[in-house]
Amino acid sequence: MTLERMKLTIDGPVAILAFNHQEVLNALSPKLLQDFNTALDAIEDPANGVRCLVLTGEGRAFCAGANLQGDMGKREGGKIDAGAALETVYHPILRRLRNLPFPIITAVNGPAAGAGMSFAVMGDLIVAARSAYFMQAFRRIGLVPDCGSTWLLPRLIGRARSLELSLLGDRLPAEKALEWGLINRVVDDGEALNEALKLATELANGPTVALGLIRKLYIESTDNSFEEQLDLERQSQRTAGRAQDFAEGVQAFLEKRPAQFKGR
Amino acid sequence: MNFKYMKLTLDGPVAVLAYNRPEVLNAMSPESLAEFGEALDVIEDPASGVRCVVLTGEGRAFCAGANLRERASGDAPEAGAVLDTSYHPILRRLRDLRCPLITAVNGPAAGGGMAFALMGDLIVAVRSAYFMQAFRRIGLVPDCGSSWLLPRLVGRARSLELSLLGERLPAEKALEWGLINRVVDDGEALNEAMKLARELANGPTVALGLIRRLYAESTENSFEEQLDLERQFQRAAGRASDFAEGVQAFLEKRPARFTGH
Repeated sequence: MTLERMKLTIDGPVAILAFNHQEVLNALSPKLLQDFNTALDAIEDPANGVRCLVLTGEGRAFCAGANLQGDMGKREGGKIDAGAALETVYHPILRRLRNLPFPIITAVNGPAAGAGMSFAVMGDLIVAARSAYFMQAFRRIGLVPDCGSTWLLPRLIGRARSLELSLLGDRLPAEKALEWGLINRVVDDGEALNEALKLATELANGPTVALGLIRKLYIESTDNSFEEQLDLERQSQRTAGRAQDFAEGVQAFLEKRPAQFKGR
Repeated sequence: MNFKYMKLTLDGPVAVLAYNRPEVLNAMSPESLAEFGEALDVIEDPASGVRCVVLTGEGRAFCAGANLRERASGDAPEAGAVLDTSYHPILRRLRDLRCPLITAVNGPAAGGGMAFALMGDLIVAVRSAYFMQAFRRIGLVPDCGSSWLLPRLVGRARSLELSLLGERLPAEKALEWGLINRVVDDGEALNEAMKLARELANGPTVALGLIRRLYAESTENSFEEQLDLERQFQRAAGRASDFAEGVQAFLEKRPARFTGH
């Protein structure tokens, strides 16, 4: 697998995937997204035994969003269709991330702007460096938030703060993002990946079937009624309860020892 | 009431329902949930005159969740079945109560116990209490409505953190996150809950019951659907005699004397 704009390292059950186009602050281009897809093929392949994904950026930024220098995409009656690339390139990747059967941690090592912010907040757990910031940059160039931002933001921080970020397009510093409940950890600069790997090791040794189902429960939750969600919990509990890890979990609890989960 | 695993006390218009199996930290079993259901029969009976319910635990825990010894031996192959038969009916009845529910979290609330703690319209916890989504520790997913309530209380990032890591959330942090409403000194949860309960039990019960339902529906409704629901409920609230009394008291500049009708 030759990747140019992404860098993939599989370290036991943890896959580390990094945006790798530092000279443009890891801005997203068609080539980069193609590499992202290729990397996901490897990450999803059961033969690789991945049980947790860490997404981060090489260099000083996490990801600056779409590369505005490049080809702006299809023209329609002489006008650019700024939405076309979403359908063809971005959305398929976002759907693959949503559907991963194990947790994603994002290690936000530096600024995350526009679509880069969207990818950052796709993490089930989000770790950021103290100097990192989040910016809904879209309105600065006359666009609307995309890549799922407008779905995720109100579910993370509520309506007032979502509107503020999107309408003003100001930087949200990592510390403030933590206080708002947008992210889970703030660490010293240079430490985001280390902290993310600690959490990833914990999760990669967890009951992967249950952890994957937990992700799905929270993806569905906010659109479900109480009744629908009870039903989904019940179905998920049946699936989780059939995995070997549940038997091990109960046994370990009764024997008062740490559980050894296998991810099956 | 003559129960083995639950304790019900009616104190005027306030019903205090307590998990009462301190030797297993109030862990729940099909038997204790059957008694929970019988206690709700009494609470819901209009003859009891209950206008606010307080749910708490006897001893040092609020509730440790499902009793794993029983759960493991009883129905190990189907970890979801007992939800249908024992837990969900109770959760639905709590959701549908026509008066407010306050939880007095006197100690640890774990797994299903955390879910019941969060069902409170107002949640009071002691300083040493903690909340734990224990499920992942034994390879299960959050249940008893946890995965519905949590993102609505603390948002997506914090819900996922609690559920994926399964760590303890201390009461003070829970307050800071907006998960709960009050933190008080150890031993004081029930007293504080009773203060709030008396305030609510002397309130306009029809309106308070409808307020619970508005917030149970709100997060899934479109703006249009919610406007419509507010409009229907305002009609129902406005027909209660407490509305007439409320307006009259306001005009006469005196405290209202609500009767719950």
